[in-house]
Amino acid sequence: MSSETVAVIGGGPGGLRAAQGIAELGGTAVLIEQRDFLGGTPVAENYCGLTPRGEPAQPQIRQMVDLVTANPLIEVRLGTEVAGVTGEPGAFTLRLRRAETAETQSSEDQTIGCGAIIIATGFGHFDPGRATQMYGYYEFPDVITQPDLEAMLSEGRVLRPSNGQPPERVCFVQCVGSRDRQIGNEYCSKVCCGVASKEAIEIRELLPDSKVLIFYIDMRMYGYWENEIYWPAQEQHHVQYVKGLITEVLPKGDRLLVRGEDTTMGRPMEVLMDLVVLSVGMEPSPGTRELARLLGVKQNKYGFVEAVGKPLDPVGTDREAIFACGAALGPADLEDTVSSAAGAAMKAVSYLRSRAVAAGH
Amino acid sequence: MTIPIGAPLDARRLVNATAEPVVDRRSLDDPRAELLELERQGELIVQKIDGEAISVATKYGREKRIQKAHLWHHKSCGQCGHIPGYSTSIFWMMRKLGYDYHDPHDQTSCTAWNYYASATSNTAAQAAVAVRNFAAAYETGYFPLIHCGTSYGHYKEVREQLIRHPELRAQVRGIMAKLGKPLVLPEEIVHYSEWVHALRHEIAARQVRDVSGIVVTVHPACHYHKIVSGDAIYDPDIYGGQRTAVVTGLAEALGAEVRSYSTWFDCCGFGFRHILVQRDFTRSFATLRKIEVMKEEANPDVVLTHDTGCVTTLDKSQFAARAHGRNVGLAVLSDAQFAALAMGAHPYRVCQLHWHSADYRPPLEKMGIDWEKAWAEFQSDLRRLESGEKRYLDWDDADGLHDEEGPSALGTDTTIEVRDVL
Amino acid sequence: MTVTAPPQVKTDAHYKVADVAGYTEVSYEVKVQLFEQVKSDFRFGDYLYGCYECGICVGACPSAKFYDFSPRRIAQAAAREDVELIYQQMQEDIWECSQCFSCLRCPRGNNPGGIITIMREVAVRNGLASAKEALVGYSRIIYKIMSTGTQVSPDMLGRDAFPDWGPETADVADNLDLWRRALPPETMHTTSTGWSVADRTLVELYLIWFETGALDMIAQVDPSLHSILQELMEDRLEEEGIEL
Repeated sequence: MSSETVAVIGGGPGGLRAAQGIAELGGTAVLIEQRDFLGGTPVAENYCGLTPRGEPAQPQIRQMVDLVTANPLIEVRLGTEVAGVTGEPGAFTLRLRRAETAETQSSEDQTIGCGAIIIATGFGHFDPGRATQMYGYYEFPDVITQPDLEAMLSEGRVLRPSNGQPPERVCFVQCVGSRDRQIGNEYCSKVCCGVASKEAIEIRELLPDSKVLIFYIDMRMYGYWENEIYWPAQEQHHVQYVKGLITEVLPKGDRLLVRGEDTTMGRPMEVLMDLVVLSVGMEPSPGTRELARLLGVKQNKYGFVEAVGKPLDPVGTDREAIFACGAALGPADLEDTVSSAAGAAMKAVSYLRSRAVAAGH
Repeated sequence: MTIPIGAPLDARRLVNATAEPVVDRRSLDDPRAELLELERQGELIVQKIDGEAISVATKYGREKRIQKAHLWHHKSCGQCGHIPGYSTSIFWMMRKLGYDYHDPHDQTSCTAWNYYASATSNTAAQAAVAVRNFAAAYETGYFPLIHCGTSYGHYKEVREQLIRHPELRAQVRGIMAKLGKPLVLPEEIVHYSEWVHALRHEIAARQVRDVSGIVVTVHPACHYHKIVSGDAIYDPDIYGGQRTAVVTGLAEALGAEVRSYSTWFDCCGFGFRHILVQRDFTRSFATLRKIEVMKEEANPDVVLTHDTGCVTTLDKSQFAARAHGRNVGLAVLSDAQFAALAMGAHPYRVCQLHWHSADYRPPLEKMGIDWEKAWAEFQSDLRRLESGEKRYLDWDDADGLHDEEGPSALGTDTTIEVRDVL
Repeated sequence: MTVTAPPQVKTDAHYKVADVAGYTEVSYEVKVQLFEQVKSDFRFGDYLYGCYECGICVGACPSAKFYDFSPRRIAQAAAREDVELIYQQMQEDIWECSQCFSCLRCPRGNNPGGIITIMREVAVRNGLASAKEALVGYSRIIYKIMSTGTQVSPDMLGRDAFPDWGPETADVADNLDLWRRALPPETMHTTSTGWSVADRTLVELYLIWFETGALDMIAQVDPSLHSILQELMEDRLEEEGIEL
């Protein structure tokens, strides 16, 4: 039996915007989220300020959540996973289960019907213990990642994990887990240059006596990020940008020695740091991988869902009535995510409406 | 779940774990699987691991198996040539643990030192030399164990070239045919320090000397963990799985204190060419970047390493540097010699420390070894050789079983269990 | 195409000396040929992808800390096919490399050390002066390999051979025979070879070097060594019944 409901799987910014978009168009949505809260990665990983302007992330995300939970056209299922899919375009049946259970078939499973599906399961951060370079993330407490730093910034304090003291010298290492043939993540994760620069500005504001460096291969400052982040970081906040990536981090005394090449000066470089922040890249989340497998949609070689009609159709998968948005498709910033989510909502609702018209409803 | 702010590393590791297995996608994912596939196609023979083997994890999680006994010792030129205590210690340990082995005459040098130094060779020659040695092992049924880090690294390179390039295989197969040998490669290329690592708890169970007061710095050989890095042993309990585990694993199993230093990943400076013809580079690098940094930051009693070139470089570079008033004077030992000493080996009869340059006596003293007595015992061995009473020292002599006073206190027959291993 | 004769010296009127920058200048065409040999090596495609100038290779490289040497410039020159720069690098730079392969950390998958290995082989095959000079210290190693099957023997630690290694090496030289007989492993009671190698094995090694053209490479850079080796082995080969 065909359904007029759109199932949105994933309750992060993409899923929230998609569900809201469906409701704005007068459609009905069921939003399925694995965690027991909405908001996705920005909430789970304690995002402090949004890139580029640094406005507080949590209130913004909460606003998106409130719009969804207050909307009578949207049913929210927290702590829920999709365990299986049957049916056909326009008339899918999703088998759902509680996120804690491990069994594939349980008497507690429920089913819902939907006519179209939007994959909004997003990304996971690259595990820096797998990096090609020797960063010692699981050895040295003062080597942290961007999400670890966001958590600190949310508390309004940046401290060295090793001794609880504010750092005097901080550096960012770009492209950790991205642009790397050895790991297999050959793509650029798009947001880390902007995020690192934003975080660098925040550190400089919190700790005016600190020296902050960013070690990079290229500075990816698309569009307005150039003048909204990069120039102010250098000109107002005196963040130092050094073209040359770090190859190893080892402790020296109670600090960390980072080693690389200062390619602009054309010579090897070793500097002492108090805190090293790894700008870890984006990978498909376990949820994205699992859902893509269950739904049988094409994935690219990195495991992200393939938008088969891009660039002009950035949200369609290779399966009819199944769309995807946000970071489930690949590295995406918040603007990309809400744009593609709105686009997916529009496509899903118009798909169902045209089917209804064709069926004479 | 949210990641707690300031979460400890283990908690962060749990959160960061993704479902995706990791490999080095530039390299072959699984050389063993590739070899077996080529064997299925009739392209070559794979010598299989035989008998009891221990599983270890490598950098990207691939399981590697280390055969325990019945090994063919692929010897190292530099070790046998001028650090003979290194090879002797490897053989001695294997005998003490009760594992049979073959020490071949039909083994050539891997010739990789010359290759990396002077390039007066080519890929076909290097591959044929490797395969000829592997065929010699295969013919005996003993599984090859590689003594030198460069032989090991180079053979991994050769393996990859042979797997990827059928024309090279064909050329080498043809040359082997002229020698009456098959084209054969072992299922795994195993470095002796991997065997030592895999058996470190068995070694520790036979420990008779206390090394808990010994501070050790570890120098990992470049060719061990930088060439075909996926083949090197990594362990989440050692350095959090962020650095290769061999040598450190052994030192920790024996109870020594391992300290880090800020040039851990640096090459020793051997340079292949430089050790002979640009010695100022080797000497300066080894002193300035390794020995001095170790002394200043870790103040160790001994440096442990697991390659011929590294032992040579670190041991021999210190004398001339001392003349320049540099902060040197640090004993250098291979992991094999250190393990042998811990198991009760004689410092001269087995570890042959008189061939070393940097002063090894302070760590011996800390281990409670009366090296003066040991030297006197060794001198009496030499007198026996000089007098013609014996032609050569043998393994019984190495354990002092022919000493007039009975077995030397320094070289006991170590079948005794001396302690519980933690 | 192999450039068999040593490169000809170009005598331009404005050069006061024929050798510019300490090495022999050659024609552009010769430089192109040398690069083509590097590029056509079957390993080249495995060793060179693209380069985004991150400098990780230089950060890891020991030689970069001591010499004006950069694995990044090696990869860049090869990628750009800058035959002038590559020729220059084949004179000095490539011999400064420690062949440690720390540069295999390259995130693009390049192998600058490997590119250098290829460049060195090309230099040797073409009898470049830099290769000959580089080989000077190693002809005795090659002789040792061919005559014993090992690269290092105890008798190489001559009394005055390594004064910078300390007085212990002199002790070895003074007690060589005795100390070697005081080694438990049965294969190591040798002085002129690392370990005792069977005659047949030695002959097999020679055959490998002959069949693969390694001996021809030696002929390019040290003709007298080459004839010594040939003489050494021809009788042995006959004895073992191996035909070339």
